Amino acid sequence: MAFEWIKIPYALLTLFIVVNYGMLLGALMQKIAARVGRRHGVPIWQNYADLIKNYGLRTSITHGVMFYLGPVFRLSGGVGLLLFVPTIYGSEMFSNLSFAGDLILALYFVFFGTLGMALGAGESGHPHAAIGVSRGLAQVTAAELPFALAVFAVALQYQTLSITDIVAAQQGGVENWTLFTNPLAVAAAMLAFLGSMMRPPFDVVLAPQEIPIGPPTEYHSSYLALMQTNRAIFPIAKIVVYMNLFFGGAATWPVFFLKVFCIYLVSVFVGVVFPRFRVEQSIRWFLVWAVPLGVLAILLV
Amino acid sequence: MSGVDGLLLSPLLILATGLGAAFLLGLLHPRQSGVAYGLTLVALAWMAWIPARWLWAFVLQGAAPVEILTAGTPPPFAINLRFGLPEAALTLLVNLTGLLSAIHLKDVLLNQGRRAMAVLLVAVMALGGIILTRDMFNLFVFLELAVISTAGLVLLSDTHRPGLALGAGFKYLVVSQFISVFLLVGIIFAYHATGTLNIDGMAEAGLANVAALAFFLMFIAVVSELKPFPANGWALDIYESAPPAFSALFSAATGAAVLYAADKLLLIGGDAWLPMATAIGIVTFIAANLLALPQTHDRRLLGYSSVAQTGLVLMVLGQRDILGEATPFIAFGLLVSHAVAKAGLYWLSGLVQERRLTDWAALGRRPLLVFAFATFMAMLTGLPPFPGFYAKWELVHHLAGADRLVLLALVLLGALIEAGYLFRWFGYLLKREAPGGETAPCTPHKLVPVLAALAAGWALAWLWGDLFGRVNLLLALPLLFALAFLLLDWLPAWIKNTLAIAGLVAYFIMTWGEYDPMRLIFAIIFLIGGALTLLASYHAHGRRIGFYPAAMLMYAGMVMLIQATSAFEFFAAWELLTVGSYFLILRGKASEPHALSYILFSLGGAFLILAGFAIAAAAVPRLDLAATGALQLDLASLAQVAAPAAPWVFLLLAIGFMTKTAAIGVHIWLPGAHAEAETDVSPMVSGILLKAGLYGLMVLLLAMGKQQLHGVELTHALLWVAALTALLGNLMAVFQEDAKRLLAYSSIGQMGYAMFGLALMNHLGWLMALVFVINHYIYKSMLFLAVGGVAKRTGTREMYRMGGLIRLMPLSFIAVLIGIIALSGVPPLSGFGGRWIFYNAIMDSETRLPIVVLFLAGPVAFLYLFRLIYTIFLGQLKDELRRVKEAPFWIVLPQMIYVALLLVFALVPGLALRQVDAYLDRFFPDGGLRWEGGQITSQYGYWDPIAIMIVVGVIFTTLFLWLLFVNRRAQMVKQFNIVFSAERPYRPETTHFAWNFFAPYRKALGFLTQPLATNFWGAVTDLLHTAGDLGRRLYDGNGQTYAFHLLAFVIIAFFIGMGA
Repeated sequence: MAFEWIKIPYALLTLFIVVNYGMLLGALMQKIAARVGRRHGVPIWQNYADLIKNYGLRTSITHGVMFYLGPVFRLSGGVGLLLFVPTIYGSEMFSNLSFAGDLILALYFVFFGTLGMALGAGESGHPHAAIGVSRGLAQVTAAELPFALAVFAVALQYQTLSITDIVAAQQGGVENWTLFTNPLAVAAAMLAFLGSMMRPPFDVVLAPQEIPIGPPTEYHSSYLALMQTNRAIFPIAKIVVYMNLFFGGAATWPVFFLKVFCIYLVSVFVGVVFPRFRVEQSIRWFLVWAVPLGVLAILLV
Repeated sequence: MSGVDGLLLSPLLILATGLGAAFLLGLLHPRQSGVAYGLTLVALAWMAWIPARWLWAFVLQGAAPVEILTAGTPPPFAINLRFGLPEAALTLLVNLTGLLSAIHLKDVLLNQGRRAMAVLLVAVMALGGIILTRDMFNLFVFLELAVISTAGLVLLSDTHRPGLALGAGFKYLVVSQFISVFLLVGIIFAYHATGTLNIDGMAEAGLANVAALAFFLMFIAVVSELKPFPANGWALDIYESAPPAFSALFSAATGAAVLYAADKLLLIGGDAWLPMATAIGIVTFIAANLLALPQTHDRRLLGYSSVAQTGLVLMVLGQRDILGEATPFIAFGLLVSHAVAKAGLYWLSGLVQERRLTDWAALGRRPLLVFAFATFMAMLTGLPPFPGFYAKWELVHHLAGADRLVLLALVLLGALIEAGYLFRWFGYLLKREAPGGETAPCTPHKLVPVLAALAAGWALAWLWGDLFGRVNLLLALPLLFALAFLLLDWLPAWIKNTLAIAGLVAYFIMTWGEYDPMRLIFAIIFLIGGALTLLASYHAHGRRIGFYPAAMLMYAGMVMLIQATSAFEFFAAWELLTVGSYFLILRGKASEPHALSYILFSLGGAFLILAGFAIAAAAVPRLDLAATGALQLDLASLAQVAAPAAPWVFLLLAIGFMTKTAAIGVHIWLPGAHAEAETDVSPMVSGILLKAGLYGLMVLLLAMGKQQLHGVELTHALLWVAALTALLGNLMAVFQEDAKRLLAYSSIGQMGYAMFGLALMNHLGWLMALVFVINHYIYKSMLFLAVGGVAKRTGTREMYRMGGLIRLMPLSFIAVLIGIIALSGVPPLSGFGGRWIFYNAIMDSETRLPIVVLFLAGPVAFLYLFRLIYTIFLGQLKDELRRVKEAPFWIVLPQMIYVALLLVFALVPGLALRQVDAYLDRFFPDGGLRWEGGQITSQYGYWDPIAIMIVVGVIFTTLFLWLLFVNRRAQMVKQFNIVFSAERPYRPETTHFAWNFFAPYRKALGFLTQPLATNFWGAVTDLLHTAGDLGRRLYDGNGQTYAFHLLAFVIIAFFIGMGA
């Protein structure tokens, strides 16, 4: 795999599709969650409206350089993660920029945006932001662990760290998916997935009632717009990784849309049922329920 | 030869001069004390000159030993004396000590008049007699003379605190009578049994077999003069109450003479009595050191130490059966180290007014005296390059060679305890406030003996290096360079700094061709990295006395470490870098206890390494033991260590090295030592020094590979230790409020990662370890400098007291930002390379469970890293810090260089790693990387650092520029302009969320950071102190009790010795 200039417009095309799908999907999930609570929920185009409004706003306020850079880090993280992973299996066009690195790059690039965002929020000087970051980081140490274990199990299983190769190994039928060949790893990873989607019971980071949305408290207008864009991209980018590793990847866009929707729905499904955990509760939960699955997965591979 | 002999004076003149001068003093008028004093000095000088001239003749002119027959007939009909090399050396030692003590005693002697001087002369003469005589009864006479003159001197000198010395002298006389009785009765029986009084005659007659009881009585009498435990209360009272110069004589000269007498007796006793000497020696060594531990009185402590050292030499004499020809080298090495150092310390104590150890702080402001103390301390603890070091090396090797491992362990344990109280004392001297701020009054006659001992110490260091025959450490260029800074210490700091940097760089240029790629990485970090770190030292003003010798000693040790090919060179270098770094760490304001903890763990580790090398040397199969010498072990031949010993050697060496990398369990010294060190010292001891331990582990693992102990694979155990180190180091870092402590704990975690890589024992694991070595050097040096600069400006290291410094210290912020991104392993900076190689390395690993622990450790780093940058630079600025300036230029400059280095290493890791990758193929042929253009490919995955950097850079810049454009009119708002529940925050202190930042995390996982290791080691030291304290109750100051101790000692020795 090597770089060609044509990859850039192709990558931008992927980005365009994912942004739109992400915004619609986000609103749809909100709507589903609302319907569970017997509310109407937002209209499906709500995210577009919000985004256009926020992009349209101009601010005269900044808290400093890092405050500025926070949303930039955040969105770069989301876009980067998306582009470092091939979206559609077997398609040269939508293999994006995955020549730059393998699975490990994706695994670690997840944190690029999170940490940058945390720094930006920190410079705002708002205590709620710092509290949110403190909670988020504490939770992520435990929540990422089962995922890391699952990734390792999968890499051991297929003896490769290349995402494309891992997807290739799952072709030829549903029974070849990691979901069925290594269910323990997938179970562990899916529990970790719940922790990373910022939905109940693991949404104490944003905790809308106590620390109004936590880290992004001080962000508004175009800053917020960048972050909202990221909120459309990042979950999809992350789900793409899950889809590729555990659910056979996607060879066409319709399959892609379907699989991403289903995986996303898992977190919503859990989220509407369970109340919120405190940080130490969620850490214990991950260590007690998810990590042993991950450990078993790497031992039994 | 006879020509040479003709020029030499008869050794009898030594005795004659002493006696003659003593008589002559009686003829002088009592008021002519000045003349009497002059006469005494001249006599002592003359008495020292004669053996000195002989020594010269023996060593360089090949003179033969002489037998002196007093009555013109050979023994057994007359007394004979012998004067050979050992006698010459010992009489020189005794007489010189006498001379210098007389100089030191000037006030006392002038005050007391000629009688005291005569007694002193007789005492020195008697000691000479003990050394020279070969006649048993004559020995008794000289012993009696020595005892009486000693008691006389003690009694005469009873001016300082009347009554105290009087009591001590009286107790001494009481005990001496017991000893005399034993000796005399023994001699009578011995004469009865053998018909001769001649020592050699008795030996020939096999006295020990014919009349064991007779020998026992004589032997136990002489040994009792050596103040063995527990029959030594009287001696300690003398040490405590007599004038220091006299104690010096009593410790150094009397000890040496009586030890020689004991040696002569062992000649009679033969091999059968060696175990008894060994047992008494080692028990005394351990017990006296233990008892010294809780001491606070300086001279009493030195007394205990003297007793201990004498015990050690006695033990060495008792090991003659295995030491063979090496006995004199070892025994003399230990003896002269003890004599010179102890005499020096006693003389030094004459410059201190009060008697508590902490009062020695009065010397702390005098660099020369501090240097003298450090030299004496190093001599006593057997540090290189002093004779004790060579002696200890040989001793331990012989003990290991003869499989006397228990004895070996006891020797090292005792030495460690001794190092404990000596280094603690040194800490007092340097770091405590002098009482009343006074410095020691220095009169020349009190200073001269100290300086003479100092000079003698270094001369002996050279001599023993020369005698050792393999490597004279004092000829090693790096060490000489470091020592040169002692002479240059009067120069301003910036000149010395320039010299130091130039020296490091020049040495690298001189030697870089010698290193293989792996060593080259270490050489670059130690030498070039060291020079880079030293740039920060330009910020220091004044002369900065003591900094450069210590720093350069550490660097010398490190560079000698990577150049070492033999175990001896390696160990010597290891000790040098340990000592150098100890002095460096001790320089921090509040670092006294931490430096002590550092040196104790390091020396403990070093002793394990020593034991490991010794056991290895014994276990390497040799074709021709005699020809190659049992003691020389190449590092490479560690690979040939035979089976039963090999895992133990591995274990000892690995634990030894892990004390330096601060593996969990032996890590407790690190946080304090690194955090309390000076701003520019922290990066040296963290970024650079820690790598020495890793280097040691590499050498060990390359040579010995995987070892099994009771079915446990030791590299597997190492994996667990490394993983736990990484996890717990990181976790503990999370809960620190002190920024430098946070970084220090983070180092523990990082070393855990590097050790993990090594313990994987595969190609990529090692490559990962090297990536961590390079990365950790760069970012930890940078972070320590940045945080040090901030601490310098804000006056605190507590992070919650800072906040919002980004605008005031932007460059420091950039350094910390780049540092934490790199450390966290997030792409696109260099830490990611380490993580990527790590994942590829564990794909090949056979074991998986420890990896889980390491996975858990990974994200924990994010917590403390975020806290570090947020609580210091972001959040709310405090009122009292509003005028803080950026850190000093010289502290910022190296940080900026590190930033550049980090970026370069992130973009083209191949610059540093390609060669090593190829080199590692020799040891781990499979699993190397392919380097094609920018892309790096392993068996499992691929990675292109340049592409990553470009992709991330382009996305980031595009978004940033766009945001800049749309918000071009945005202004910085005031500090409290935030959405705060529709209110304005009250104060920065209440708004800056910083203290106990990860409280929920502590709730969940804080139980993992219980200070188990700290409690454990605390309990161990408490136990030692309590044992020492209990032992002190033996010594109640009652003469009867002491007499009883002596009897008990003799009876116990009798039953054990004769029973066996």
